[in-house]
Amino acid sequence: MIKKTMLLGLIVLLVAPGLFGQELTGEEIIQKVNDLFNVDTSYGKSKMTITTSSGQKRTFVSESWSKNKGEKNLVRYLEPSRVKGQAILMLNNADDIWMFFPRTQRVRKLATHAKKQKMQGSDFSYEDMGSGDAFIEDFTSKRLRDEKMEGYDCYTLELTRKPDSDVSYSRMILWVIKENFVPIVIDYYDEDDPTYHFKRLVQSNIQVIDGIPTAMKMVMHNVNDNTQTEMELLEVKFNVPLDDKMFTERELKK
Amino acid sequence: MKKGAIVLIFLFLTVSSLPAQEMVDIFGYFESQGSGTAVNNEFLMLYTNKLRLDLKSNPSNMITFAANFDYITFHGQTTWNILDFLPSDVVAEVPPGMEDYYVLTFDDRTFLDNAYIKLSFKPLDLTVGKQQISLGTGYVWNPTDIFNVKELFDPTYEQPGHNALRVDVPLGSAYTFTTLFSPEDNWENSGKLLQIKGRISHFDYSFIAIEKIWRFHDYTQIDPETMYFLELPEKRQLLGASTAGELLGLGVWAEYAYNWMEVSEDFYELVVGTDYTFNFQTYLMFEYYRNTLGKTDYTEYTLNDWMRVLTMEQKSLTRDQLYAFLMHPVSDLMNLGVSTIYSISDGSLALVPTLNYSLSDNVEIFAYLNFNFGEEGKVFSEKMGNGGLIRVRVYF
Repeated sequence: MIKKTMLLGLIVLLVAPGLFGQELTGEEIIQKVNDLFNVDTSYGKSKMTITTSSGQKRTFVSESWSKNKGEKNLVRYLEPSRVKGQAILMLNNADDIWMFFPRTQRVRKLATHAKKQKMQGSDFSYEDMGSGDAFIEDFTSKRLRDEKMEGYDCYTLELTRKPDSDVSYSRMILWVIKENFVPIVIDYYDEDDPTYHFKRLVQSNIQVIDGIPTAMKMVMHNVNDNTQTEMELLEVKFNVPLDDKMFTERELKK
Repeated sequence: MKKGAIVLIFLFLTVSSLPAQEMVDIFGYFESQGSGTAVNNEFLMLYTNKLRLDLKSNPSNMITFAANFDYITFHGQTTWNILDFLPSDVVAEVPPGMEDYYVLTFDDRTFLDNAYIKLSFKPLDLTVGKQQISLGTGYVWNPTDIFNVKELFDPTYEQPGHNALRVDVPLGSAYTFTTLFSPEDNWENSGKLLQIKGRISHFDYSFIAIEKIWRFHDYTQIDPETMYFLELPEKRQLLGASTAGELLGLGVWAEYAYNWMEVSEDFYELVVGTDYTFNFQTYLMFEYYRNTLGKTDYTEYTLNDWMRVLTMEQKSLTRDQLYAFLMHPVSDLMNLGVSTIYSISDGSLALVPTLNYSLSDNVEIFAYLNFNFGEEGKVFSEKMGNGGLIRVRVYF
């Protein structure tokens, strides 16, 4: 009986890591994170508040639509009046970007380097906001020791930029909640110096929307400039019917 | 002018009444601007206040109505003698007794800049009325845009509306066919435009054909009927193309237009540009512009050449120019930049440091200084006046 119990204990010890997912590799975890981000279609309305190093605040409200797991994106600013009507269309996972300026009625095609620019002066770059498969296409991932972060049991991943990639970060550390694969914290490291940590994204207020765990609040803190940008989702819907015509220059100019 | 102000107040009161507000979106901006120029050992200053009221309404998904009403007042040095800025050998070309005609006066203005209705049907968009027409991919110069001329030191400022009927027909998701008719006194003199715009790989392309009357003037003769410079209308036919995309990680664009003139010599314009954003957020842009209406020898610039450029009838005095722009966000709220415009043909240069500052969500400050480095007679000579501009704009 004792032998049997010991044998069962041994089996449990050997099998348990599999049962609880601990054998997942870094690549498998990041694939799950990627799948979570890239739902088929989505609509969102968000409020972005920039807090400068001197404590001044700037607030922007925008609507966004996304299709084909983030391959097509349209963002339109609603507030403040200064940027109202400005819109950005991103196709082919943001390899093609157009920006519409309503004051001049001009559509400008932007090269992908424009993704490095700060979005309306915030701590988010267009690259940070772009979806698609960037985590998988541009980085190799390695699983580090699991840690507790923001009160959650997390997988810890180190993402290192692939040699042929031109993303602005040499590496990133992600803390991914084991329960739902939401990356609760992401640390961004300088393009040239992989030891220089200069930005941290913290996600919170996770709600299940249309069956998908969604962080309703994101705060990006720039350690270097001592500034931060808070992004709050005011409304979000997943798997909404969106016509391909939504993602054309005609719609961009509306 | 009082009439204009009354109309503006009436319009504001009418559209801001509760029932109308539900249908009409009211927005716009107030802009206060001061500019100064050193000329003849004096620093002359011109102040401008502008109120732009935008109205937009979507009574249904198919219909959009939009209008912009501008009210502009000028203060300070509102009368400028253009001859003060021109080289002495060019001033010598002024016919005796005509000196008083070269005076530019800034009078207060009230006008309806845009007023159009856009009908969106499934296969096409039809836009009728006074509307902005933006053509081409160039940043400072647009060879294919014969409706507008951009300010060299302030190329992103909004352009005026033009009376037109425009039809945009989407052909699939990547192509659009556009036809535009800009009516004048008769069909023959009216502007006509055809454009096909599309996308191949990561490049946008467009091919364009335009016919339009070009109304430039002979600034050495006065028309006794109008008591203004003699107008020399001439038919202009343009065939052009433009593209924008990415090459080796750089943003690239090009624009070309060949112009067949009814009377004067045919000419072409070409723009080639590139830009890049570095990881440390600095943005760099270069644009080369060739206009064969411009001259290669600055000693051949005539009074007519100068006047046509200063009155924005013609885009360039000099044949080949290079524009460079460098900008860096020094903080979340402030961008500092510097642009230079170099005339390759006459070797003169303008240096323009710029500043953009976000004072609050809806208030922004834009300022630039301009310094000209060139001998008298060249396009960017000190005689053209070193100076600057500061503009505060409040959006509502």
